Amino acid sequence: MLRVFLIVLFFLIIGTTALCAGAEPKVEVFPPASYDRHIIYQALIFFWIGIIGLVVIIAMKLREIKRVQKMGIDEEEGNVPFLD
Amino acid sequence: METLGALARSKTVPSHRFDVWYFAGGLTLFLFVFQFITGMALALYYVPHAEHAHKSIVDIVTKLNMGWLFRSLHHWGAQLAILVLFAHVFSTLLLKAYRKPRELVWLTGFVMLAISIFFGLSGYFLLWDERAFAAVRVATGGAGNLPLVGWVIKGFLRGGLDVTGETLTRFYAFHVAILPLVTIAVAGLHILLVQIHGMSVPLSQERKQGGPEPFFPNLFYKDLIVWLVCLGVVVTLAVLLPPEIGRKADPLAPAPENIKPEWYFLFLFQTLKLFPGEMLGMNGETIAIVIISAAILFFFLIPFFDRRSAMGQRSPLFTWIGTFYLVYFTVMTVIGFLT
Amino acid sequence: MKLDHSAVTRRTFLNTLLTGWAAAVASGTLWALIKFAFPTLGKEPDFVVLKRADFEGIPLNSVKPFAWGGKLGLYFKKQNGTVEALKGVCTHMECNITYKPDEKKFYCACHKGWFDENGRNIEGPPPKPLEIFDIIVEGDKLIIAKKGVKVELPKA
Repeated sequence: MLRVFLIVLFFLIIGTTALCAGAEPKVEVFPPASYDRHIIYQALIFFWIGIIGLVVIIAMKLREIKRVQKMGIDEEEGNVPFLD
Repeated sequence: METLGALARSKTVPSHRFDVWYFAGGLTLFLFVFQFITGMALALYYVPHAEHAHKSIVDIVTKLNMGWLFRSLHHWGAQLAILVLFAHVFSTLLLKAYRKPRELVWLTGFVMLAISIFFGLSGYFLLWDERAFAAVRVATGGAGNLPLVGWVIKGFLRGGLDVTGETLTRFYAFHVAILPLVTIAVAGLHILLVQIHGMSVPLSQERKQGGPEPFFPNLFYKDLIVWLVCLGVVVTLAVLLPPEIGRKADPLAPAPENIKPEWYFLFLFQTLKLFPGEMLGMNGETIAIVIISAAILFFFLIPFFDRRSAMGQRSPLFTWIGTFYLVYFTVMTVIGFLT
Repeated sequence: MKLDHSAVTRRTFLNTLLTGWAAAVASGTLWALIKFAFPTLGKEPDFVVLKRADFEGIPLNSVKPFAWGGKLGLYFKKQNGTVEALKGVCTHMECNITYKPDEKKFYCACHKGWFDENGRNIEGPPPKPLEIFDIIVEGDKLIIAKKGVKVELPKA
């Protein structure tokens, strides 16, 4: 889990660096559609809520899986008797 | 089907100090699938003709619902895909995952690296703006300087003697048809080989492993988390930093000021600058290209040069060689960026 | 009232939560893709602007085509001199219709449908009359508009 967290941190660093560094010099600018910029930011917030929610739920599932695996009940038992 | 299911359930991944790098391969795959999807969406509207290409992109960005977003997603997806690809390449190099019996995994991987670079170049050219045009002129011209085969490669890539509308058609064919199909074939082989051999464990860690972790469901879910966060980063970058497009290319105009290739070419660019125009009576650029080609060829064949790793022994020389490649690449890229 | 046992198992709860949330995120993404891939589904213009000089001089009992978005529009001068503008698209299966001046009727070749001078469907499979547009004259321009649409030209 720690490693996954480190990877996530790596990406956030890359992302923030890219955002701060800005884009390379170009000639023309095409702004995003002549929307209210707020609609775009709002959509981005919803998107992140979606992603973070998914990540949290998957982490919950992983915790449960680890708990179950520690109990050892997920392994196949060799000599399971059949009802004949 | 049942044996496949049983096989899948029994697949495990080793645990050790460096196992975090195992995520890089799958992440590269995810990003390339992302590129396929956004690329297919853009291909619905892009017109691959020298007269209309530039305008079709302008139309996509200004007139379509969320057109700017899909173009931006494709742009940033490409940047991250190549970045993660380099992380994957260098991590497998330094952890010596290429050693016997996985030589073919490395070779297929290298082929995909070359394909990915060409994906980037051809995709960028489709903008048909001044910068893209100059970049392809330089790149194909550079390829033309290879001894013996240079002129063949140059003519093949350009579709003629110079960069023209024919080049655009050709690069479009590469970018949307030829390269994707070749990638799927080679990637299929690459991934199949990894399933057969399992994940490579670095020599230093062979005796220090923890218990192997099952791929289903543990690592499958961990992969998903990593992919989701990566997706989040790509989308955020795409929304907040949509790429621009330069002026439409004019084959007769001079090259614009301060022309620079995409960042993953910068190290080559900088290396060429190191060589003087003439050296020992021969064309400096040709010598540079020969040396670079030799270095790339060595890189390609490294599993066969690293004899000690092949025998399962520690190979510090090749760790240094690998580190040199990484440091050289990083330093030259950064210098190229700053100048 | 506290329950002794949980109504659902941990596994069911987690799996439902995951599936539900993933479905929501996936449908949001898919919506964006679909919206991008189908940009102008059913979008026709509310009005188009034509040059008066190009159309008013046509001979009696004839039509002149104009672009209505991506579809065919017909500027129609009847025998008695009155003008109509209509959508030149058959109401049966959307083939383009043509005007037959000898019979003073509109004809659709796809399934042999016929419409009269006023656009009414008189013969063949077409279920509805042709769509008629409003014509507004403004200076040297002709504005052809969907019926009932309030036309506001942007002030250049």
